Amino acid sequence: MTLTQEHTGGPAATPPDAEPVVLATYGLTKSFGGKLAVDHLDLTVRRGDVFGFLGPNGAGKTTTIRMIVGLIYPTSGYATVIDHQVPRDKKEALKHIGGFVEVPAFYGNMSARLNLRLMGSLNGQVEEQRISEVLDIVGLRERADSKVGDYSHGMKQRLGIANALINKPELVILDEPTSGLDPQGMKDVRELVRELGTGGTTVFLSSHLLHEVEQVCNRAVIINRGKVVIEGPVSDLHPEHSSVKLLTADQGKARDVVAALVGAQNVELDEEYLIVQASDGVDAVIPAREQGLEDFFLGLTQSSDVDTGGAVGVSGGAK
Amino acid sequence: MMLLRREFTKLIHQKRSYVGWIGLLAVPLLVTLALYLNRNNHHHDNGPGGVISLAMHNGLLMPVAAITLLSAFLLPLLASMVGAYQLAGEAETGTIKTWLMHSISRGGVLASKWGIAIIYVIIGLALVFVGGLIGGALAFGLHAPALLSGQTVSISHGLGLSLLAFLYVLAGIICVLSLALLFATMTNSSLTAAIAALVVFIVMNILGAFSYFDFMKPYLFTSHLDAWQNLLSQPISWHPIVIGLITFAIYIVGLMAVAWYLFRRKDILV
Repeated sequence: MTLTQEHTGGPAATPPDAEPVVLATYGLTKSFGGKLAVDHLDLTVRRGDVFGFLGPNGAGKTTTIRMIVGLIYPTSGYATVIDHQVPRDKKEALKHIGGFVEVPAFYGNMSARLNLRLMGSLNGQVEEQRISEVLDIVGLRERADSKVGDYSHGMKQRLGIANALINKPELVILDEPTSGLDPQGMKDVRELVRELGTGGTTVFLSSHLLHEVEQVCNRAVIINRGKVVIEGPVSDLHPEHSSVKLLTADQGKARDVVAALVGAQNVELDEEYLIVQASDGVDAVIPAREQGLEDFFLGLTQSSDVDTGGAVGVSGGAK
Repeated sequence: MMLLRREFTKLIHQKRSYVGWIGLLAVPLLVTLALYLNRNNHHHDNGPGGVISLAMHNGLLMPVAAITLLSAFLLPLLASMVGAYQLAGEAETGTIKTWLMHSISRGGVLASKWGIAIIYVIIGLALVFVGGLIGGALAFGLHAPALLSGQTVSISHGLGLSLLAFLYVLAGIICVLSLALLFATMTNSSLTAAIAALVVFIVMNILGAFSYFDFMKPYLFTSHLDAWQNLLSQPISWHPIVIGLITFAIYIVGLMAVAWYLFRRKDILV
């Protein structure tokens, strides 16, 4: 039995009493040697959002982040952080940003504590107490005085998060923060990100892991080939289960069976599929195969990817 | 200044810093030892010349003897390495992106990198000076030195002249270092940047060595590197020294201006 679903949700409208915009991009574009990596990207992230920035590897996520933090210069367009335009006022903008791009990099010959002191003090005063605090948050307190060069990948990743938080920035940008972590590490980081959001910090979380975004983000954008494919609250991104298509070996019999189920309405047979309208709140009428964001995402990105044979890496396979 | 302090913290936490410094301390001691062991048949020695034979009679001139040997290769090598490492080395480890994600200007970062590389060379030169003086004192004793032109000056005068000579060499070496820093803005490999700077240094030396290229000579900073030797003749002819310093200044300003232009606009993709 093949079962597909039609997506009926669309981008959500901005609520009228919206929080102030912390991060926005306006026509942000970057081309490398004539090849567009990011293509007129418009994003809006509001205070308190845990914003999922989703896309397959190579979609332009990291390039976008690099432009937001001023590491690379846009070919056209710009970003704003609070009220500061990047790249023009990036020095001001960077005061409000903590985070990392790709793998967090530190000075291997120095201890975690010294790294944090050195980096943190670039953006203002950093108390020793704050250093201990962030090391506690990421569970590195006991190894605080070991050389970072001796750290495992996961520990460096956690140190990256500690470093992102040290100056209590308004905007935390995390580029695939759970990549390379073990399941417990992933769980810890996701919990941490959720807590940050609850505490009012705006988080911009890039990920190619859809369930991760589903778990921790309230809003998300999916990009592919440098363009926004869809944007909105995560709940809206999830395909609604209002209409279900069924393909069975015996469509006539299936119609009778389904029609007898509670909540199923308008069971119709078109040329090929059995179409079932489910009433609100009973979208589990046909639980044969739950379509998650993952399939939805694959559908979206692969449909615009036909010429590459739909070869988008979705789960696993970090760069 | 704040950035420079942080660069200093980074510098003293790198093992490679000490390797260069130890080398610079060892060379004058080795030179002293070699000269000391060879002291009885130096008339057969047609080696590096005036300053070195002077030092064989007087340890006070050992620092300048050491710098004569060092400024040909080891010092430019270390300057290239330290200049190149400042930016390209941080690109290799990825720390440059972590660093630049803070509220600091690219110009400030470049200036602090330049400054710390100079501090590294100054510390290195100080070690050469001290090493030469200690070695020289032990081997040949410290006396009022005779200069290349034959006059004898007081010990303090001799030390003062040696110090000036070191400062002049420092200015010349800052050219090499700035060259390496410029190349480091163009590549993410510190080895590539260091080698590129050394290649330019050596090519300039070669060009300066052939009379056919004499017309270029005044414009190559390498032709002016030895002008400090004029300090060791009385009366001092200041002209070549001043010309040398002006040439160095033009090189340094030019190289750093290009480096600044490139680094400010550079896409950090590591």
